[in-house]
Amino acid sequence: MAGDILVLVEHVDGKIDSITFQLLAAGRHLADHLEVNLVALATGHQLNGVSTALQGHGMDKIVLVESPALGLAAGEVQARVIAQVARPMEPRFVLVGYSLAGMELTPAIAVHLGMNALTNCVNVKLENGAVIVTRPIFDSTVHAHVALDDNDSAVIALQKGSFTAIEPSAKQAAIESVSVDVASIPARSRVLAISEEPAGDVDITKAEIVVSVGRGIGTEEKISVIAELAEALGGVLACSRPVVDVGWLPRERQVGASGRTVTPKVYVACGISGAIQHLTGMRDSHRIIAINKDPNAPIFGVAHIGVVGDLFEIVPALTKAAREAKAESK
Amino acid sequence: MNIVVCCKSVPGLVMDLKIAADGKSLQYQGQLLAINECDEYALEEALVLKKAQGGQITAISMGSIKSQDVLYYALAKGADKAVRVDCDNHDPRVASAALAAALKKLQFDLVLTGTQARDTLSGQVGIAAASQLGLPFAYAVVGVDVMDDGTIKARKELGGGRYADVELQLPALLCIQTGIQPLTFVPPARRIRARQQPVSSYSLADLGLQGNQLAAEGYRIVAVKPPERTHQVELLQGSALDIADALLNKIQESR
Repeated sequence: MAGDILVLVEHVDGKIDSITFQLLAAGRHLADHLEVNLVALATGHQLNGVSTALQGHGMDKIVLVESPALGLAAGEVQARVIAQVARPMEPRFVLVGYSLAGMELTPAIAVHLGMNALTNCVNVKLENGAVIVTRPIFDSTVHAHVALDDNDSAVIALQKGSFTAIEPSAKQAAIESVSVDVASIPARSRVLAISEEPAGDVDITKAEIVVSVGRGIGTEEKISVIAELAEALGGVLACSRPVVDVGWLPRERQVGASGRTVTPKVYVACGISGAIQHLTGMRDSHRIIAINKDPNAPIFGVAHIGVVGDLFEIVPALTKAAREAKAESK
Repeated sequence: MNIVVCCKSVPGLVMDLKIAADGKSLQYQGQLLAINECDEYALEEALVLKKAQGGQITAISMGSIKSQDVLYYALAKGADKAVRVDCDNHDPRVASAALAAALKKLQFDLVLTGTQARDTLSGQVGIAAASQLGLPFAYAVVGVDVMDDGTIKARKELGGGRYADVELQLPALLCIQTGIQPLTFVPPARRIRARQQPVSSYSLADLGLQGNQLAAEGYRIVAVKPPERTHQVELLQGSALDIADALLNKIQESR
């Protein structure tokens, strides 16, 4: 119906990504306050499992668009299919996960629907009758609060971790299948294959202690300072994206949206400012320790324990203390 | 292969970022604009493709005359031509309409952009412009192979160590992921020489844009604030030795 909230379901190999359940929680909040329906839209091939797994997560209706051609569709085709199905529904808001897939699809969907898109959002809530969307700007150091008034509709792309999924209920959503003639959509690109990066010498997702280094380290030689701490704590060395980009550490060590997601017992962030793409990959760690010289660094927004100071003083002292403790316990 | 590279002009090193008195905008002394770092990787990839394939690189930037510096930098790096669109609007819908209109005036096989701009963090303009022009696109591209049959093969990131190989017919638009090529250094002499080269410019009227195509509408910025913190971080203070002992205790009780 016109004015509904539409959530795009993200799934891989029949498994729904956790961002979808977070979007449904955000969507439920909006739908309740605006007194409209919450609709989940899934596109792809063989969606039975996806549809079953969605049930009970807050939506009033599930719309399925199934086609073998959507199993490996390129971005331009997916965006057109989604827009084609969404357009007659006249949704007020389309909620998308700000994953790599969402970053590709959101601008295209917005163009085809003639809507504004607000990307990189970390909150959406009702305040004094207006929908207020929060999005980090300027290297994530400040947040812009954007109001959408009664007649404003938008595609809103939310960062992972912005909402907590609601407790599943017994409520069964109605299921509607919509067919789309995918072959009639002009496509000038196609996905040839999906591949998985071969595992490197270390799997950072399995470690209980992750010691992570960011661009704040300054030079490649100094990474050894952090590597020694990782070793002394019996953890693994990881890093943020810029460290991989300059070639100081291999890609399999990267934590973040485009790297790996880690949830260790302890995550020590050394010289990491905390770009949102990095936070996405580590914010669910059980205990987060951040060492950074900038007290305003966004990393302190997710850290449990913080040290504002020079990591070249703190880290070697911690390494020494850890080594001494280990020697004593032997 | 003729390549257009979108090089956004963003404030360079900003040490004094403040929220303005109206609470809705930012204030800083950023007189100097620099190339958006994500876009610099797109430029590096264009230079590598040009070396292998030949052709010309056109660098394009949007903004006031101040953004000309970014174009001179792109020329110094090896771009052949530079185009400035005189548009200072950061709204993604306006900026993508302006970019799409400018691209229609240029000859190209491939458009390269970065993944996002460090100031607005929107990451929309490239793919929005491609969608308006009907160009195929791929986001977060980590590798580009040019084929003999008028197509390219791009490897894009899907996250979590997964990748997709996509075949795109030219002309196409790719948002290049950071780290695809190492950033190269430009000797100062080349940067000085580059300033002798011409930069063409389009006004929005030249591009045939008018009225509501140029107005950011459908939302209001109500405030710019420091990030709200969902929980209070416990800050440790003292000497490096005291802090190290306290941290080690915290780590040991967590394992």
